[in-house]
Amino acid sequence: MKLLRTLAATAALLSTLSLTAFAAPKSIKVATDATWPPMEMVDANKQIVGYDIDFLKAVAKEAGVAVEIKNTAWDGIFAGLDSDRYDAIISSVTITKERQAKYDFTEPYTSIGQILVVPKTNKTAKVIADLKGKKVGAQIGTTGAMEIKKVTGVELKTYDEIGLAFEDMAAGRISGVVCDEPVAAHFALQKKEYRDKFKIVGKSFTKEAYGMVVKKGNKELVALLNKGIKAVKAKKLDVKIHTKWVK
Amino acid sequence: MPKNPAPHTPIEVGDGAAIPHKGDAGLFTAWRIAFFGAIFVSLYLAFGKPDPYFEIFKFVPDGILVTFKVTVGAILLATLIGLITGLGRISSNRLVNGTASLYVEVIRGIPLLVQIFYIYYALGRFVKIPDMLSAIIAMAVCYGAYMGEVFRAGIQSIPKGQMEAALSLGMSRSQAMRQVILPQAFRVVLPPIGNEFIALLKDSSLVSILAVSDLLRRGREYASETFSYFETYTVIALIYLIMTLFFSKLIGIMEERLNAGK
Repeated sequence: MKLLRTLAATAALLSTLSLTAFAAPKSIKVATDATWPPMEMVDANKQIVGYDIDFLKAVAKEAGVAVEIKNTAWDGIFAGLDSDRYDAIISSVTITKERQAKYDFTEPYTSIGQILVVPKTNKTAKVIADLKGKKVGAQIGTTGAMEIKKVTGVELKTYDEIGLAFEDMAAGRISGVVCDEPVAAHFALQKKEYRDKFKIVGKSFTKEAYGMVVKKGNKELVALLNKGIKAVKAKKLDVKIHTKWVK
Repeated sequence: MPKNPAPHTPIEVGDGAAIPHKGDAGLFTAWRIAFFGAIFVSLYLAFGKPDPYFEIFKFVPDGILVTFKVTVGAILLATLIGLITGLGRISSNRLVNGTASLYVEVIRGIPLLVQIFYIYYALGRFVKIPDMLSAIIAMAVCYGAYMGEVFRAGIQSIPKGQMEAALSLGMSRSQAMRQVILPQAFRVVLPPIGNEFIALLKDSSLVSILAVSDLLRRGREYASETFSYFETYTVIALIYLIMTLFFSKLIGIMEERLNAGK
């Protein structure tokens, strides 16, 4: 009897604790993998900047919470959320069915597509399937990697950071890179070392939406972030941020 | 108090090491517990909890093959580099000695991960080397320095008299080195070399920073798609453990063979 009471008390205590933890957070920790320019990156002043970061700050301001941004490696960014190292992720995360099964997403805040980048010397390739028998690179665990995997006859090479894939293509070890369109544009059209070597081919071939990610069941935080996203969109702040980062 | 204490047993002076080599201590050696334990746990997970463990075991084998190839390739190359470096370090030629010493000092002072990264991407700018080969070269260059020190210590541990005796028998310096010093030194360096092999096998996981699909990268690819990080890393750890234990046994057998003549 006593044991039962203790158990009940502990359960009640735990639930109130978790409720207070979720109910009205004054400050949240948000993880990002700042190797995905121009969406999130580290600038010359060692500050984490980019589209997602500006967007997150605008959302936080509208929702009335303080945010602390944590730079984390993409490989394992979800594992960090599992182990409560942070409360949310904003890192160009495409909302997919597989991810939705494990995590909760906010409503989409922007949409992009995957696109292929090849060396300029390749005159024929238009889609991934044109690179049969060759190696194509992407960042590990991204939707780009999943798209390459779908094409039979193409060997997928995964990298810890997307920049390394471009570096490897510059060295001639792989024949193509697949990533989000703004990122491809950053590396292929704006980066000085790569501008003369690479080109984007075709149009983006997927329709994807980015969402912020929280732990499954953290309804309060999703509601709070969604409130912020709605306000940002209503004030057209997202358009401003878009023109600032994505040319 | 006994009036006539027993005479001291004379101390036997033998040839070998002061502390004799200890053979297998019964049925339960540490090696057997670890090796069969790891295999048992793997089998239990694969068949007892097939979802997700069996899936993970099915996903990673080509990674094991890559890790194995990188390790064996790097070991062979590193041993060769190590032997050359070790001989260079004891050479009286100042240029040879200086080069070997510089190599050891520089390589030993830079973290392995940084070196692998540097060799892979820096070399890639000048010469086109397939990724597997550049991974092997990177590992071998790093470990060659450590191996060099092991070989140097091994060679220097052979008493000077051995060389003098060989020379007085009319052997040339290099002949004496090959036929008298190195065979003895090899027996001395085998345990530390074995240690380096096992360290190299584990450190080969660092090449997963390159786009080489080794065991660790295969695991990470699986985990990043399924989000079962804990389960995947459990499997990866078990496979590395089984592989290193397998290697350590192999080296143990070699050691015994070499010591059998003693």
